[in-house]
Amino acid sequence: MPRAYPLPTDLSPATVTNTKSLVRIVAFALISGAAIASRLFAVINFESIIHEFDPWFNYRATRVLASKGFYEFWNWFDPTAWYPLGRVVGGTIYPGLMATSGVIYNFLQAIHIPVDIRNICVMLAPGFSALTAWSTYMFTKEMKDESAGLLAAAFIGIVPGYISRSVAGSYDNEAIAIFLLMFTFFLWIKALKQGSALFGTLAAVFYFYMVAAWGGYAFITNMIPLHALALLLMGRFTNRLYVAYSSWYAIGTLASMQVPFVGFQPVRTSEHMGALGVFGLLQIVAFVQLVRSHVSSKQFNNLLFALAVGAGVVGTVAIVGLTYMGWIAPWTGRFYSLWDTGYAKKYIPIIASVSEHQPTAWPSFFMDLHFLIFLFPAGVVLCFRELRDEHIFVIIYALVGSYFAGVMVRLMLTLTPVVCISAAIALSTVLDTYIDPSEPDLPVPEADETSGPSETTTDAPKKTKKDKTAPPPTSSGASVTELLSGMVVTPPSTSKKGAAKEKKTGIFGTDTRLAVILNAIGMLMFFVVHCTWVTSNAYSSPSVVLASHNADGLQLIDDFREAYYWLRQNTPETAVVMSWWDYGYQIAGMADRPTLVDNNTWNNTHIATVGKAMSSSEEVAYPILRKHDVDYVLVIFGGLIGYSGDDINKFLWMVRIAQGVWPDEIQEPKYFTPSGDYRVDEQASPAMRNSLMYKMSYYRFHELFGGGQATDRVRNQVMPKTGPTLDYLEEAFTSENWIVRIYQVKKEDPLGRDLKTANAFDQGKKRKRTRPPVRRRSAA
Amino acid sequence: MLRSFGALCLSLLGLAALTQAGSSSGNSVLVVLQPSLKRDAFSLFFDGLEKKGYSLTFRAPKDDTPVIIEHDVPLFDHIILFAPDTKSFAKDISPQALVNVLNHKTNLLIALSPKQTPLSLLAAEFSLILPPPGMPLLSHFPPRDTAPTVIPITVPADNAVLTPGTPPVWFSGVPQALGANPLLVPLLRAPPESFAADTDKDAGAEAVVDAAEKGGEGLWAGSALGVVTGFQTRDSARVVWAGGVELFGDEFAKKEIEKGVKSGNTQFALDTAAWAFQENLVLRIDKTGHHLANETTPREHYTINDLIVYDIAISKYNAAEDAWAPYSGLTDLQLDFTMLDPHVRTALVPVAGAPGIYSATFRAPDRHGVFKFVVDYKRRGWTFLHSSTTVPVIPPRHDGYPRFLSAAWPYYAGAISTSVGFLLFSALWLAGDDRETKKTKKTE
Amino acid sequence: MAGPKATAPVKGTSSSTSSSSSPSAVQTLWKAYLDHTAPRLKFIDSFLTFLVLSGVLQFVYCVLVTSFPFNAFLSGFASTVGQFVLTASLRSQVNSENRTLFKDVSPERAFADFVIGSVVLHFFVFNFLG
Repeated sequence: MPRAYPLPTDLSPATVTNTKSLVRIVAFALISGAAIASRLFAVINFESIIHEFDPWFNYRATRVLASKGFYEFWNWFDPTAWYPLGRVVGGTIYPGLMATSGVIYNFLQAIHIPVDIRNICVMLAPGFSALTAWSTYMFTKEMKDESAGLLAAAFIGIVPGYISRSVAGSYDNEAIAIFLLMFTFFLWIKALKQGSALFGTLAAVFYFYMVAAWGGYAFITNMIPLHALALLLMGRFTNRLYVAYSSWYAIGTLASMQVPFVGFQPVRTSEHMGALGVFGLLQIVAFVQLVRSHVSSKQFNNLLFALAVGAGVVGTVAIVGLTYMGWIAPWTGRFYSLWDTGYAKKYIPIIASVSEHQPTAWPSFFMDLHFLIFLFPAGVVLCFRELRDEHIFVIIYALVGSYFAGVMVRLMLTLTPVVCISAAIALSTVLDTYIDPSEPDLPVPEADETSGPSETTTDAPKKTKKDKTAPPPTSSGASVTELLSGMVVTPPSTSKKGAAKEKKTGIFGTDTRLAVILNAIGMLMFFVVHCTWVTSNAYSSPSVVLASHNADGLQLIDDFREAYYWLRQNTPETAVVMSWWDYGYQIAGMADRPTLVDNNTWNNTHIATVGKAMSSSEEVAYPILRKHDVDYVLVIFGGLIGYSGDDINKFLWMVRIAQGVWPDEIQEPKYFTPSGDYRVDEQASPAMRNSLMYKMSYYRFHELFGGGQATDRVRNQVMPKTGPTLDYLEEAFTSENWIVRIYQVKKEDPLGRDLKTANAFDQGKKRKRTRPPVRRRSAA
Repeated sequence: MLRSFGALCLSLLGLAALTQAGSSSGNSVLVVLQPSLKRDAFSLFFDGLEKKGYSLTFRAPKDDTPVIIEHDVPLFDHIILFAPDTKSFAKDISPQALVNVLNHKTNLLIALSPKQTPLSLLAAEFSLILPPPGMPLLSHFPPRDTAPTVIPITVPADNAVLTPGTPPVWFSGVPQALGANPLLVPLLRAPPESFAADTDKDAGAEAVVDAAEKGGEGLWAGSALGVVTGFQTRDSARVVWAGGVELFGDEFAKKEIEKGVKSGNTQFALDTAAWAFQENLVLRIDKTGHHLANETTPREHYTINDLIVYDIAISKYNAAEDAWAPYSGLTDLQLDFTMLDPHVRTALVPVAGAPGIYSATFRAPDRHGVFKFVVDYKRRGWTFLHSSTTVPVIPPRHDGYPRFLSAAWPYYAGAISTSVGFLLFSALWLAGDDRETKKTKKTE
Repeated sequence: MAGPKATAPVKGTSSSTSSSSSPSAVQTLWKAYLDHTAPRLKFIDSFLTFLVLSGVLQFVYCVLVTSFPFNAFLSGFASTVGQFVLTASLRSQVNSENRTLFKDVSPERAFADFVIGSVVLHFFVFNFLG
């Protein structure tokens, strides 16, 4: 029994099994710990705070849920959002996230652990990332084996593509959705493998949870039918498929309709029709199979086959027909934008304006996935080698996920798990191949030995590596081609026998093994370093608090909270604040004031109204502000400190969105200089300089420079000597670094003058003499 | 809470002032009298005011004390500015300062003259357009023995501010053309045959042409002009602009219009002051309320299609008794139920048997959102009434929809039969289990 | 929506009764079915037939009369469809011909799966009904 290196022989099988599971548990605990710990950079660098925009709403909703109970939450009508339209919160959100934290909160309260609801919200995403690692492990285990599973779990635990959405404080739907996604897929694979209605039902239940948690559930709704359809077309229909799919679809669809926001969509929108079609098709095929089992007439089979095809065609025609009749809603714009990346920009600027809907830049693939992106195709290829039902799933997932990740930045998130899985499969295959001590020259004993010890070794690859790479290395250059062929060719082949007999050299030599293994370890270490670096530098900023590095070291810029707390403490509770929609949730969450528009961009017209007010002159904007009872207007201005995410840089979107609704009054070209530049300095176009946004941003800006040249540090332009004036608004508050500026809308003049005249009078300007109104000409 | 406290204060104030009839907003009056005018020359007017209970404080235009406003709190309730010729005032009587005290609800009574002064410039801010300096109002009709600038003007009978049957009044001073400002309340118009000109010699038609040319900017002539014009700000503070100060003087008051008919100047002056000082046509909203049709307490929010009752209590100030009394006399009061645009507009009708209460019952629109009950009553001369109450209208609760409809019974039957079928099936299956398993094993 | 999956089985059973006089493919099918099917499976099939009839009735009522409480229709209809597929799953799992396919699922386990799936299904059905 030739061995590449000696193995201990005095171990009983029980010891091996026990050690295996112990090592696995320890490894898993370490992975969870790493996953949670690397997400805590945000808390350590800043504080335990809710991040960004959407999480603020989720946090606010969770507080309502925790304080008032689920039914009140379900019926929650928020009169302070989208003033004065209000928002039916219960019916327009995915409540899964809030319900989860609510349950955790109540549970902890019940066992007398008084934890602040905020900390639960902050820590939810890291906590669930550990669960995601576990479900990825389970999923990969179904694909290959435990060792690949552990690798995949380790990858997903620290891969930046997932961390970007799940750092502590990033309290968003994705925080729990990725776990649910992976777990539902795992259950589906399990159901498919076993043909078990139980796992189908469980998949449906978790699908329901997923539907309740994230709008991305449509990914599952289409992935599983796609998988089923692919199996069907490959002639792989089995009753297992029927059982798994039918039980999942029948229960899952009914369950998904329980979520108020989803409602009847599963039977009325095109996005869900694929699943229904596959369901119908499966029923027919199953019936045909049943009939075929009873009669063997070939003709009859053909007849039934025609019947099946006919029914499929009729079904498709019916769905298309119903779509035309308007019973089934056609694809939504958001969906079209997935196919045609230019679509949204043309027709729905509101969707295109969201930064996370932009197409992904190439570097971010490397940034988010590092070396996994190279291993990813290898893993997919390895799936082709076995091509069991579940491998087809991974292949389809890889294809679909890659496409979508290329279209939208945020969908990188759905690609990440499959990349981790494929990469883990590839890497673990490499390690399996090169650590496997057995050598193929003694065929008879090898057959039963490979299954025993090789599993032992592969169960904890890292451990094995360290322990068993001791044998003395003899150097001989292992070329890259050899490495590759070694990776692909696992089973012993006749041509390799000769090489193996030479002992310790060639493809089975220890040197080759070491080269490959060390290489793999090196990549893994670089990966860890990269992940840590990216996480701590790029993905851990709460964006509510900014950090700037200068000569004195780290400086925190806390203008947002400063301004929001000013609003909270200095304005009446009913004061309506107008701002661009980005800040709606934050104002609601931190300042607790009604807002006109917020990050739930459901009403394009209302947003366009705000856009119009921002991009019009004061005289035009004032009636709009009065009509909407606006008391304060809030703008973000980065020109002083160089904060590039400010409103002037977003201004063109406001103009575009307003133009979509009022093409006669707002025209985008008017905001450019004649030469087509977007400028804010002397050359700025009149429409630009008269716009409310421009005036509010640069009001009194030049005074800061005391007569010197006022320079906008974001756009690197020199501002005009005289700043804009404001008649209809007055400055109420400007934060320390001028990032947030708040203006109060003046009341109408008590004397019925327009405010410009009233302002001129207050400043003591002489008014022109007016003529008496002419009624009719005197006959004299 | 705050409102009721305010109402309490108001009623206390009312009680305190019960001894003397007077204004609804206070009795302290500052009279800024230019040195060339003597108090005695206006004794009838000033005594009339004092008799009503006003306490008058006199001050020359250039004096620094008593101050008008201190720490943003006005020290007087009303100010009479009888300084038509004064060109320079103390700092706190600048046009800007006057607008400021007006915004603090201090009422003004201002007299002008053909001369250009800061006050005549201020008039432009009130949409009053004065002729160029030095152009008083002239009229050669009716033929009389006075100068053409001293004109008898008939008092309109249909003006709610003025006592009906007041005899014509003597006027001398400058007219004002009225801008298109809805806040203006014309009190006394110039006679149709009068015009503004800088001469008082020529009596022919040429003088009119001449005046038109000299004016250069239009013709100041005819009854479109006002000579005494009121103005009520959006906050219901009141200003009266009089074209001449003589209107209020004893001389004109005693001068006879015709033989044996005394002029109406005294009456007119006191009527005008009564309006300006918030004695007349003063209304207030005591309280507003809303509730469901079959309930009495207000709700925090209503559901769409609810039947809502809105009521409002309105009082009117009675100067004679110096007290507020419920007032049911408004016939054109309206309620808007507004979200961006009025969704419901309905009449508020007086409730029989409940003085001062107006009520409207309406169905909430089928639209959720943040609505406002808006009562916006703006009538010329009357205090502006404005009340806005915000209330969200929400969709029905999840259990607020009708359930278990008769049309759906086949579905209920279907669902229940399936469940029953499932139970039966399971029971039979288990019952037949033993036998069957044996059989299946055999077949295998 | 459920046209294909509901009508297909009906065609099998109903046409077999109508065309019983003439020897045809359908008849042989029917005969083969009667001969080769275990009584347990026949028992299941009768339950399936009942579910199909119930579903068709509801669908016809929905199309012809009213679909107004749409949630009630959906839950009623989905309960029959769901129960149908669960029972059909059970049928294929306990079918001895498929023994090799379902190595992990013994008939007892299949029945337990079936019960759990049905309970979950009916929970959602009644939740959605009102």
